[in-house]
Amino acid sequence: MRRYLRLLALFARTELQFALEYRVNLLLEIGQMLIVVVTSVGAVLILYAYTQAMNGWTLEQMIVLLGVYYIVQGVEELVLQPSFERFMEHVREGTLDFILLKPISSQFMVSFRHFQTVQTLQVLVGVAITVYGVARLAAVVTPATALAFAVTLVCGFVLIYALLLVLSTFAFWFVRVDNLLAIFWAFIDAGRFPIDIYPGWLRVTMSTVVPVGIAVTVPAKAIVGLVDAPTLAAVVAATVIAWVVSRAFWKIGVRSYTGASA
Amino acid sequence: MIGVYRALAVQQIQIMLQYRVATFLYALFSFVRPIIFLAAWLSVAASQGGRLGSFQRSDLAAYYALSILVTHLTTSFDFFEFEWEVRQGRLSPKLLRPLHPLHYAIVNNVLWKVVTAAMVIPVAVLVALTFGARFHVGPIDIVLGTVSVVLGAALSFVFGWVVASAAFWTTRVQALVHFYQRTAFIFAGQIAPLALLPGPLSAIAYALPFGYMLGVPTDILRGAHDVTTSLLLIAAQAVWLLVAAVLYRIVWNAGLREYSAVGA
Repeated sequence: MRRYLRLLALFARTELQFALEYRVNLLLEIGQMLIVVVTSVGAVLILYAYTQAMNGWTLEQMIVLLGVYYIVQGVEELVLQPSFERFMEHVREGTLDFILLKPISSQFMVSFRHFQTVQTLQVLVGVAITVYGVARLAAVVTPATALAFAVTLVCGFVLIYALLLVLSTFAFWFVRVDNLLAIFWAFIDAGRFPIDIYPGWLRVTMSTVVPVGIAVTVPAKAIVGLVDAPTLAAVVAATVIAWVVSRAFWKIGVRSYTGASA
Repeated sequence: MIGVYRALAVQQIQIMLQYRVATFLYALFSFVRPIIFLAAWLSVAASQGGRLGSFQRSDLAAYYALSILVTHLTTSFDFFEFEWEVRQGRLSPKLLRPLHPLHYAIVNNVLWKVVTAAMVIPVAVLVALTFGARFHVGPIDIVLGTVSVVLGAALSFVFGWVVASAAFWTTRVQALVHFYQRTAFIFAGQIAPLALLPGPLSAIAYALPFGYMLGVPTDILRGAHDVTTSLLLIAAQAVWLLVAAVLYRIVWNAGLREYSAVGA
């Protein structure tokens, strides 16, 4: 375990050095991210100019939800997206052999090797927005709801990770699966609003097929005590199942990998 | 000229046939966002007794269902390909041909929209039915709306090329494109119909070009304006198109002198 943490720190450090090589580009990317956040908060404020609550979501709750959205999307873009995209490239070019030969878990190596360091900022902005929203909700936050928030947030990460791992694993058979992932990116946009505002079919899609709805909406509900114990248990159970299934699927995939040039 | 366009069209169709999935996948982005904001506005309207200003629920549905179609027809997407051509020096051989590079982009743009409309139109119809859209459209609205959509598409296309031309100076245009697209996100009628932008934002939106690429054509097409207002808005579109065309000529000519043909 310690060895893996040390490796993770090493990966992060090399990627940071890599990012600092292109300083102007880094500054531009930071600027872009701030524009995205400002315009998204602006969009929420425009909607709330007309109402006190959307489907029961007050502005404060919505701010928490937006913060969680940026945390989830930030983590995903910080490490999962760059790593899995590189993984598919490895499969296509046959260079995955080098990863499989290394004396560590290849699933770990494939999932966490590459970072888009600048996305750390997106996570931090998400944390700041969440803290701000929670501070304004201080009256209803208890240690129990804070714990439920933490648990559901972790579940959300694992659910999204499991889905991305399964989608990426398809690369072993179909090689070009970037398109599958593009569908996922298109849907993640919908996570910026609570899933209960969407009509039935879209809500179902976003809580099962693309779990971004659960990953964002459920923690934002948990912090104000709107997630009861049975729901919490169900989310945790679903997460464990998703983790086990995706891992098993990955192992099957690796076994059928033949190498592109071999 | 017709012969040239036919040849370009055949070539483009072959490219699209080769990348079928990718071709249709980009069309996803035409409708995901309008559906998101339609759902958001409907739940705001529901909290206010089903009415927001001049908008009833069925008007919001009509606006966003139509905006799926209009987003699709007026989108422009040449920035990154042009950037790539400049960076790789691929622009050089194109400049030597007796045909302005814009013509390739026009054929590409129009063909992609026509082909992928097969996917976007059913989605727009489905959204209109699911959310109970009601249109108050006369024949005159359809005529004026069509003119407005064509002008909007042209405006978005030419403005897109003004932004893309920045690649002559900076090689990388991503940051600029991003800023352009996020401004459009607020003011074009994506996050809200132009009439629902609160306070001064609505007036600003009518002063900027972005609304004339999406919000204005959509409103005219759904019959939200009387004929006089529609004609005024169409005139404003024409003025902006003229401004964009002049801007484009200036930027393009200055840029060509700046172009150093990377890789050549």
